[in-house]
Amino acid sequence: MSFLRKPFGYEPLLTREEIKQTSTMKKKARANDWKRTLKRVWQIVDEQRLLLMLVLLLVVVSSALTLLGPFLIGKMIDYFVEQGTTTGIMSWIVSLIVIYVILSLTLFLQNYWMIGIAQQTIYRMRTALFAHFQQLPIPFFDRRQHGELMSRATNDIEAVNATLNTAFIQVFSSIITLTGTVVVMLYLSPLLTVLTMTIIPIMFYGMRWITRRTGKLFKEQQKAVGALNGMIEETISGQRVVKAFSQEERMIQQFEERSNALKRASFWAQSYSGYIPKVMNVLNNVSFTIVAGVGGILAVKGHITVGVIVIFTEYARQFTRPLNDLANQFNTVLSAIAGAERVFAIMDEPIEDDEQGNPHMLQGEVAFQHVTFAYHAGDTILHDVNFTVESGQTAALVGATGAGKTTIMQLIARFYDTDQGSVLFDGQDAKSISRTSLRNQMAFVLQDPFLFETSVMNNIRYGKLDATDEEVIAAAKKANAHEFIKALPHGYHTYLSSDGSEISQGQKQLLSIARALLADPKVLLLDEATSSIDTITEMKIQEALEVLMKGRTSFVIAHRLNTIKHADVVFVMQQGQLVEAGTQQELIEQNGIYAHMLNRNE
Amino acid sequence: MKAVFRYVKPYKWFAVIAIVLMFFELFVELIQPLIMANIIDQGVQLQDIATIVEWTTILLALSVFSFIAGVVNSYFSAHVAQSFAFDLRSALFKKIQSFTMATYIKYPASGLITRLTNDVNNVQQVLFMLLRIMLRAPLAVIGSFIMAFYVNAKLASILLISVPIIAIFLFVMVTKGIRMFSAVQRRLDGVNRMLQENLQAIRLVKAYLRGKYETNRFNEVASHLKIDSMKALRLMEYIMPILLFVMNVTMLGIIWFSAKYVGAGDIQLGEAVAVINYTMRITMILSLFVFIIILFARAKASAERMEEILLIEEGTEDIKTQPFDLPAGDLVFEDVAFRYNDAAPYALNHISFTIKEGEKLAILGATGSGKSTLLQLIPRFYEPTAGKITIGGRNIQEIELASLRNKIGYVPQQSVLFTGTIFDNIRWGKEDALLDEALHAASQAQIHDSIDAFPQGYDTIVGQKGVNLSGGQKQRLSIARALLRDASFLLLDDSTSALDVKTEENLWEALGHHNATMLVVTQKIQTAKGADHILLLDQGQMVAFGTHEALSQTSPLYQKIIVSQQEGGIEE
Repeated sequence: MSFLRKPFGYEPLLTREEIKQTSTMKKKARANDWKRTLKRVWQIVDEQRLLLMLVLLLVVVSSALTLLGPFLIGKMIDYFVEQGTTTGIMSWIVSLIVIYVILSLTLFLQNYWMIGIAQQTIYRMRTALFAHFQQLPIPFFDRRQHGELMSRATNDIEAVNATLNTAFIQVFSSIITLTGTVVVMLYLSPLLTVLTMTIIPIMFYGMRWITRRTGKLFKEQQKAVGALNGMIEETISGQRVVKAFSQEERMIQQFEERSNALKRASFWAQSYSGYIPKVMNVLNNVSFTIVAGVGGILAVKGHITVGVIVIFTEYARQFTRPLNDLANQFNTVLSAIAGAERVFAIMDEPIEDDEQGNPHMLQGEVAFQHVTFAYHAGDTILHDVNFTVESGQTAALVGATGAGKTTIMQLIARFYDTDQGSVLFDGQDAKSISRTSLRNQMAFVLQDPFLFETSVMNNIRYGKLDATDEEVIAAAKKANAHEFIKALPHGYHTYLSSDGSEISQGQKQLLSIARALLADPKVLLLDEATSSIDTITEMKIQEALEVLMKGRTSFVIAHRLNTIKHADVVFVMQQGQLVEAGTQQELIEQNGIYAHMLNRNE
Repeated sequence: MKAVFRYVKPYKWFAVIAIVLMFFELFVELIQPLIMANIIDQGVQLQDIATIVEWTTILLALSVFSFIAGVVNSYFSAHVAQSFAFDLRSALFKKIQSFTMATYIKYPASGLITRLTNDVNNVQQVLFMLLRIMLRAPLAVIGSFIMAFYVNAKLASILLISVPIIAIFLFVMVTKGIRMFSAVQRRLDGVNRMLQENLQAIRLVKAYLRGKYETNRFNEVASHLKIDSMKALRLMEYIMPILLFVMNVTMLGIIWFSAKYVGAGDIQLGEAVAVINYTMRITMILSLFVFIIILFARAKASAERMEEILLIEEGTEDIKTQPFDLPAGDLVFEDVAFRYNDAAPYALNHISFTIKEGEKLAILGATGSGKSTLLQLIPRFYEPTAGKITIGGRNIQEIELASLRNKIGYVPQQSVLFTGTIFDNIRWGKEDALLDEALHAASQAQIHDSIDAFPQGYDTIVGQKGVNLSGGQKQRLSIARALLRDASFLLLDDSTSALDVKTEENLWEALGHHNATMLVVTQKIQTAKGADHILLLDQGQMVAFGTHEALSQTSPLYQKIIVSQQEGGIEE
């Protein structure tokens, strides 16, 4: 990629039309968006209003003192340096030292507290985002890359973080300093003040030209970071396959494509926002020139003293500096807004609403009535499924892969809601029962067992958080996991790493079963819970499972007919339709698909 | 820092140009008080307006040039910083891609992700600032310092006391800051890890109603980050007030001496004003330092973290993809032993067997007996701790990785799918594959009909990690992907567990036509029956090896497995 070395090879990211568009048509909408975003951040910041007021007070004090300093220095030059005398200078020096001590103290305290406020705000945003993740419906997660979502809680929030620590104080103190400076400048020399002010309109247009471009570019940049994060997460999670297929180079190439998109967005954002200090700098220099030139002439004419010129140049700089800071801050604020917008976009996603739902103590009867369901419109997975499983029964779901078995489980758990028809618990529509109360009475062993990065003990305990160690061990024994756990380096306290490479897939399933056993549910859902477990071990836990299923309504998906031979009812699924239903005996007598499956076995 | 900053090298000329331009800006800034002194001493004091106008014109011209220099500087700085970031990201990613599987265990994904995004960004930002203003700050301090001496050494010598004090103070603070910021980055890793785990387990979290519990866990991780960030940032906030105070007192000293010297007629008023002016500048620039120091300390911490990755040599492998055609041959395990680390017990021990080219081996054993581990030794995801594995008489450790893996079709136990269409996923690993080839592989893997039934067929988008597919469909897609490679070894790690009888039967039938040597981890006797050899593992030891007939006679464990699957037993 030789063009990368070239500095002029960047395609412009925004066309002239786009810039025009953002500046005219969407101007209002954009301003509104910003306002809304800022307001929401503000709401969080505002929770610490008292501390914030204190910080503001300190900013006022320190800004006033910052202004007072050069003023007194100017006076000292006039009184002592110009006169060449030191008589009476000590009292000036002492009072200035006092002023400087107070200045340093107020500066320290305002920043100290502000950091507290900012970090608390960031913390609240981050945790609120996470808490929101927990309430979002499953389909939301199906559509998005994990890495992209992770980026919102890290990179986007970090963008806000970078700003919040300093922006608030800076903006506020800049405004105060600016006002104060203008007052003092007017007092010193109205003419020079007016002359210095002539740079303001130039500055205004310069800033507008720049921020028109940067706002959008920062958003582009945050988006590119998200995409890159998504790609990295996916690649590293699937690294074994990448290696097996020797696809490292292609992954690198894909990575570089996304990385390049980020580079391009960042280049333009950075380049444009880099102009801001330069504009300020030139204006700074111009104002210095004006003061020096005109001030010199005025001094010759005897209108002002040399001391006034000296402090005036200092004030002229003090005048442009807060403007400079404001402009700079405006830029980082833009990038923070881009980050915050992406965070709030997630927070605006509707959560799994649980409002109509009432708590309901399950008896255990589960029924499907004319259930039709599609993950994506047009791609129907279940067609008009009807069945009833009575309380305490064990139902086996059999059928070819992709027939809709797991989907039935997911609908029972209300991970998704039916498109047509309804799922009934004890005759009540599932939608009228709160998800919380429903799931509280269910336990799951999902197709892909998942273990958390914590001890084996805590992983089992996930099924019942207040379980004692003894209860956990008892559950592990029932699930036939005790023996292998004992053999691990630290037994139940063995720490499992994120990829769980310490234990095998089958062992993971055993732990998942132990977890479900511990939960002691009313309805039990086992989706290929034992598929990776060898048949001898399975035989051993089968007994435990039978004990477990007693008195509970259970749904079991398994391809091993051994696993389901004790089922009270068997549902045979075929391409999303329930084609056979009945007890094992009935189905054998029907001599249909199920009987055929059994025959094949013998 | 070196390992990281060498990626600036290709852009060094642009960096140099940017710096030169920045120097020019600085020069203009520094010369201003001097010109000012001239205006006062030659113009105001001598009442000469023409001189004043002259100097003013020069000032104005300098300002304009300085602006142009500034804009070009910004453009080039962005170019250098972004190109550097791009190259650094690529280098990191390449290094990560070259990790062996054993190295991945040591570096969790979350930490790698933070390094590739957040850490790179921290360093990139500093480089950008460095080229634009950062270098300028110390230089402006030194420049102002020198200029003050040039104007009047006697008066300026007071600066000799305060400036070194500040330099030492700043050095101490930066050293402390680096440590604290690297703690912050580690906390950010923790946040990332927790997020990743939670997203992967979202169904489980919802099923067990652990949203609140997870939120509490996350709050803890996030509050660690908050506390450490606060600590680091607050430490940095000591710098500014102390620095300002020292400089302000210095200023008072200079004024006191000025008054004295001017009174004694030792120095001129204009000179005194210039020195005071330079001191004010030094103070102002130093107060900019706080900001720079925070960025620098943070970047240094990030750079060290990246360096850790970049400097890894052991535990990486060659990722060249110019495989040469490896002749197939017999696969031989010679007294192979393996353990994941020195502290762990042996996952495999004393494994010896021979599989002839084109034969099929079924591997059976209890959960955790080492079946998957054995398979993973063949594509060299892990290297045997003892013994050797040969293909056609050649030790696989001597075979170039890409060539070895190119000959292997591996189907992992847990299906891995990538964002993209079904077609993309099947041809994943063989980008130039035609749709026909994908169709053929899909038919063999018994997934073609299912795909065809989707409204979008092969163009159906696979959702995040394949959520819109059933377990069996994911497994068959993985198999199709492996088949497309036309490999001479097929490794199936219990990859048919979610398939129904009929489908699986057809699959084995179709695979039978392949000439590949097959190693199949399975739980099912039915599958084992069709194999040429059966390897029975128990706690990492090889307890039996032979045909179905032989083992059903001789191996008690095998007999037990058979019994466990009889009587309505396993499907198939």
